Amino acid sequence: MPVSPLMTQPPTSAKPQPEPPQVELPARKRPIASVGPANASGGQYPVIDAIKRGETPEPRRHESVMGVPSILEVRDFQLWYGQNKALHGVTMPIAEGKITSIIGPSGCGKSTLLRSVNRLNDLVDGVRTAGSISLKGEDVYARGVDVISLRKRLGMVFQKPNPFPMSIFENVVYALRISGERRKSVLEAACEKALRQAALWDEVKDRLKSSAMGMSGGQQQRLCIARAIVCEPQVLLLDEPCSALDPIATLRIEELILEIGQRYTVLIVTHNMQQAARVSDFTAFMYLGRLVEYGRTADIFQLPRLRETEDYVTGRFG
Amino acid sequence: MAGSFAEFRRRTFSSIMFGLCAAGSALIISILLLVIGYLAWIGVSSLSWEFLAAVPTGDVANPGGMRHAIDGTIILVGLASAVGVPLGVLAGIYLSEYPSEYAATGPLRFIADVLTGVPSIVVGILGYELVVVPVSRWTDSAVSFSGYAGAAALAFIMIPIVARTTEEMLRLVPQSYREGSLALGATRAQTIFRVVLPGAFGGVATGIMLAMGRIAGETAPLLFTALGSRLLTHNPAEPFPSLTLQIYTYATGPYPEQKRLAWAGILVLLAMLFVVNLSIRLIAARHARTRVGT
Repeated sequence: MPVSPLMTQPPTSAKPQPEPPQVELPARKRPIASVGPANASGGQYPVIDAIKRGETPEPRRHESVMGVPSILEVRDFQLWYGQNKALHGVTMPIAEGKITSIIGPSGCGKSTLLRSVNRLNDLVDGVRTAGSISLKGEDVYARGVDVISLRKRLGMVFQKPNPFPMSIFENVVYALRISGERRKSVLEAACEKALRQAALWDEVKDRLKSSAMGMSGGQQQRLCIARAIVCEPQVLLLDEPCSALDPIATLRIEELILEIGQRYTVLIVTHNMQQAARVSDFTAFMYLGRLVEYGRTADIFQLPRLRETEDYVTGRFG
Repeated sequence: MAGSFAEFRRRTFSSIMFGLCAAGSALIISILLLVIGYLAWIGVSSLSWEFLAAVPTGDVANPGGMRHAIDGTIILVGLASAVGVPLGVLAGIYLSEYPSEYAATGPLRFIADVLTGVPSIVVGILGYELVVVPVSRWTDSAVSFSGYAGAAALAFIMIPIVARTTEEMLRLVPQSYREGSLALGATRAQTIFRVVLPGAFGGVATGIMLAMGRIAGETAPLLFTALGSRLLTHNPAEPFPSLTLQIYTYATGPYPEQKRLAWAGILVLLAMLFVVNLSIRLIAARHARTRVGT
């Protein structure tokens, strides 16, 4: 039945609308006319229909992903933007040392979930959460958690490259500087190591002192990756890191993600299903703030248990 | 034919409007040139090395120069900026970077806007009542007009201007800088001082220079605070000279030689403001270049 849908699909990386960073989801208790009747799919997609009715069906989590040692545990995690519930009881372990991708249509809450891990959503007014996210067994939402030191243990790369208006060198060592590191030799060694890991060293080693603003978009994004890994984070969070890049720069970043995935645990949110298929070990499919199916990437793309997942990854739905 | 008539009407209307706009601009520019030209014509003849280097003689027929007033203005602006720039920038940071979690940014912004519009004579009276009079009382002296009081009045004018421009400039810094910095484990203060403020440096510097230019040209706030002086003094605890005050004194006085000096003083003041404005332009241009690609 699965006829390797990956190969036949055109790349979707050029989707015109990148997902906005904070997606507000209406908390729908009842089916809404604009969504269509409760069985809009004619019974074809019972799980999606249930979600649209406001239910939170039990996701299909494959045994293959539940068995592996995890570094991050999301447990019944819920999040509201004001009155709007954006995440409905998401439960998923993130495998240590692996690359896990989260896919799903715009507004499914995947970026929100990512930004919940390093508590960047704290910056948004009116955000409330319930449930827990544990990093190495410590709940990041527990009382008295030092958010600053939590964020130092996590690296994050955003949709749009956001190098700071300073030199390439200062960008890379920023995380060390704010921790008070001043020894030039330490900073220089860390900078070279991070830039090498980000496959950027050879391109910029002669102009470390020049502004990061003069780099190309792809270089800037690799610089942001170097900046995020300079302190050797326990988990690297990537929020659609290629959505603002051209196909060639995207390819280079994907190669880089695969390489970095050998050293770090990577959690990547992507719009691009081919990207998820290419780079990740595990894939989670989300829809309207719910986890729908979660398993090994190969299984999600070739042996999904839900028709919804299969039709989403083949582009027939969503 | 109807189409071509409509086109004719449209073209005619467009030409008339263009003519009106051009005429208006030409009028404004020629008035400006006239003023500057007149100033230069009268002022240059009195401008001399003596004017820049000498102090008043007290002799109305041979009044000397304005060295004291030029120094006085520079010191007053420097003192006012030493107080006004840090306070203004900090207030601007508060308004821009600490929005909803801490109360009263709305009222504060409103107050800053109102203060920006307060007539400068009011600031002068305030300086007199709040600085000069109390200091006189504490020190048991008859009059305590001083450079410090003048600088305080100028700083009072400066703070809301610097605060509001700083706020506006910080708001232009992309939110992604802040998120990027915070995600790396930076504190809010580190984010502000290492990323946000440097990112807005050109704009903030421009705002500071504009405020300095504004207070350099103020007279009214100094009338009841610094008072003015005919002596060359660098001690702000004394009654203090400034270009504007000296120009005011000479220009309203009866002696033709002093009036001529006032013209030259105006010319020097304009030249100083011109230099300040030019440096603003240069900073702004550099700023625009470094921001390309963000």
